[in-house]
Amino acid sequence: MDESTSKYWRKYLRIDEPIDQTFLKNFHSLNSILNPPFFFIIDMLSRSYFSAEAHGLENIPDPPYIIAPNHCSSMDQTMVTWAIGRTRRKELYTLTTKFFFDNPFARFFMKIGANVVRIDTEEDFMSALQAACKVIKLGKSIYINPEGTRSETGELLPFRPGVGVVAVETGAPIVPVYIDGTIKALPPGSLFPMPHKVRIYFDRPIRAGDLVKEQRSERAYDVYKAVTDELYERVKVLKEKVSR
Amino acid sequence: MENIDQEVKELVAKIIKRRPDEININANIFREYRVDSLLGVEILAGLDKKYNIDIPENKLKEVKTTADLIRITSELLSKKKR
Repeated sequence: MDESTSKYWRKYLRIDEPIDQTFLKNFHSLNSILNPPFFFIIDMLSRSYFSAEAHGLENIPDPPYIIAPNHCSSMDQTMVTWAIGRTRRKELYTLTTKFFFDNPFARFFMKIGANVVRIDTEEDFMSALQAACKVIKLGKSIYINPEGTRSETGELLPFRPGVGVVAVETGAPIVPVYIDGTIKALPPGSLFPMPHKVRIYFDRPIRAGDLVKEQRSERAYDVYKAVTDELYERVKVLKEKVSR
Repeated sequence: MENIDQEVKELVAKIIKRRPDEININANIFREYRVDSLLGVEILAGLDKKYNIDIPENKLKEVKTTADLIRITSELLSKKKR
């Protein structure tokens, strides 16, 4: 990869600048009060109503890491955070678009379940990437939807290369995740979930450093894209295995 | 100035993998050439490298066309000469 181009990215991402340790406080969930009863209910519903299963949890490395699942239902993030368990959940920060975060009702419910970071990928994508890098540099993990939006059909949408930028420039491994069944349990447009089996698969982490060494492109963009493409392929393979 | 126009045009073409004669300097590069925001940064990095200019982060939002890139580059080069 071209060193000078990467330097430029690091400058824009402010990777090498010191980070205010209070940065994360802005995004904390309403953990101490509402989070435990919320997940008590989610745990009961997941086990009984959705017969939910989590596979490959042993693939999740020590923090910081990037959880990158497919996205087709508004219950996806809750199911993944339920699956990883309380300890990991407390260390995880979900990147959420302003569309949801700026809605007080949606924000209240999101903050019960998770640490939530507001990002604006359309108008200010660089701030979104900076926020993701800051969280990781502070030793915490992030949850990011690489598709950028929900798939209405359950088919994978193209992955956006921002996840590749964050992985390459911070060195954080990406955990590919495939969520199966949530589109049937709570399809887009539905308000009440149906009792459908939900399965969540965590794959071996992708370490971007290995892919960077293989890339000979002059454009850093191609390296970020290669990491994102690898992630897409891994999620696709999980999907195909599950669908068989 | 004409030289810079052509050089910036060639650099944009190289980074977005097109021929220079395909680049209309007044076309919106994001819409017309399907350049995404990340490739936009790659173009700025290319200009930085070529002319040794420091393009501030806030200039990212000003860039829509190759003409914008030419203007920003020219401004920064004039400042550098002063």
